[in-house]
This record gives sequence, C-alpha cells and structure tokens, in this order.
Amino acid sequence: MSRFFRRRKFCKFTAEGVSEIDYKDLDTLKQYITETGKIVPSRITGTKAKYQRQLATAIKRARYLALLPYTDSHQ
Amino acid sequence: MRHYEIVFMVHPDQSEQVPGMIERYTNVITKDGGAVHRLEDWGRRQLAYHINKVHKAHYVMMNVEASNEAMEELTTTFRYNDAVIRNLVIRRDEAVTDESLIMKAEKEDRERKSRYQERQAAEAKDADEKDDDANDNEDVGSDSDDDSEE
Repeated sequence: MSRFFRRRKFCKFTAEGVSEIDYKDLDTLKQYITETGKIVPSRITGTKAKYQRQLATAIKRARYLALLPYTDSHQ
Repeated sequence: MRHYEIVFMVHPDQSEQVPGMIERYTNVITKDGGAVHRLEDWGRRQLAYHINKVHKAHYVMMNVEASNEAMEELTTTFRYNDAVIRNLVIRRDEAVTDESLIMKAEKEDRERKSRYQERQAAEAKDADEKDDDANDNEDVGSDSDDDSEE
C-alpha cells in the first residue's frame, strides 16, 4: 500500500529554530489543532517531542484565555 | 525580583475602568521597586467560547518585574475584583519588550479596516456621482417605457 507517495513529515519548529512557542501566536497554534479543537498528535504532525510539549502548554494557555476553543460544541 | 507575564480579562461592561486598573496595578508593582517592561491593551476581543454568558472581554497584558509580595497583592485583587473575568500569570526568564503577536495582528486588522473604510468612502463618493448620472438615464428609460405602453 505504500505506493502512495507520502510527504515526509518535518518539525516546523526545529526547522525554524524556535526558542519558545508563544501562546499568543494564534496563527501557528491553529495549525496544530483539529477542527474540533483537539491538539494534533506529534505522530501525525511530526513535531519533535521538545516542541510538542511546549505546543501543548501554549495551546492550553490560549484556551484558558478564550483565545482558542476547547471544542467546537461550545455554548 | 522576578519577571512575570500577566494577562487579565475585564468584563466588557466595566471596560471604562481599565485605565484606572492599569494605573493601580502599576503602582502596586513599582512601589516595591519593580518595573513594567511591556504594557499592552488588546482592547475588546471576541471570546472563543462564552464565559459566564459573556461573549467579549477587554484584554490587558503586562510584562513586569515584581517582588513576591506585589504579585501576591495583585493576584488577590484579581480574585476579589468582579470585573476581572479571568487572569493568567506566568513566570518569564527575562524582560520581554517586543510587541506581541496578538497586538501585531490587531494593528494589521485595524489598518486593513481603516483602509477598507477609506476605499468604501471613496467608492461611495464615486457611486454618488455615478448615481446622479444613473438617475438621469433612468428618467430617460421610464419615458421610453411610457411611450411603449401608449
């Protein structure tokens, strides 16, 4: 089944050498949540573990401040 | 003395109190020998979800260097102030003074909006002028209609 060409996953944060993922960087964070608001696992995005941990805290902070939704079924 | 990043959300009905609150909090921090390195007023923003039936909140972010006592005082005032819906305090390693990404996005938004309004105003002006012309044409058109009916 591997005849489909699958694009190689890469970690955006490692490539850019990000020092810290900011919870205020909503455009970046939005790339790592699903339509339902879940955090996308690193096995799918290819994010390195170090950055996945930072990403998770950043997303959780943004959620607490109502900058990002917890789920799509709010209200 | 440690560096902190504080974000607090104020009830939209209490939005006018924000300048006073910022002043009071700044006093609390500086009185102990602390400093405010960055102060940003994000203004009223739409919330991603409703909090206590509130849909919007006034956000303020401060990056400060403050003593433990001052921070204690701040967090208790946050807790007992009903106007503050939510607050987040996180520790930072150093003073952050660059403009935050939210503020940048906000500014771009505002610029885009003002540009859009300008364009709209210009278009409205153009349209007005054209409208006059169009009215003239319409009159002619209606005349011809009348003719055909007869």
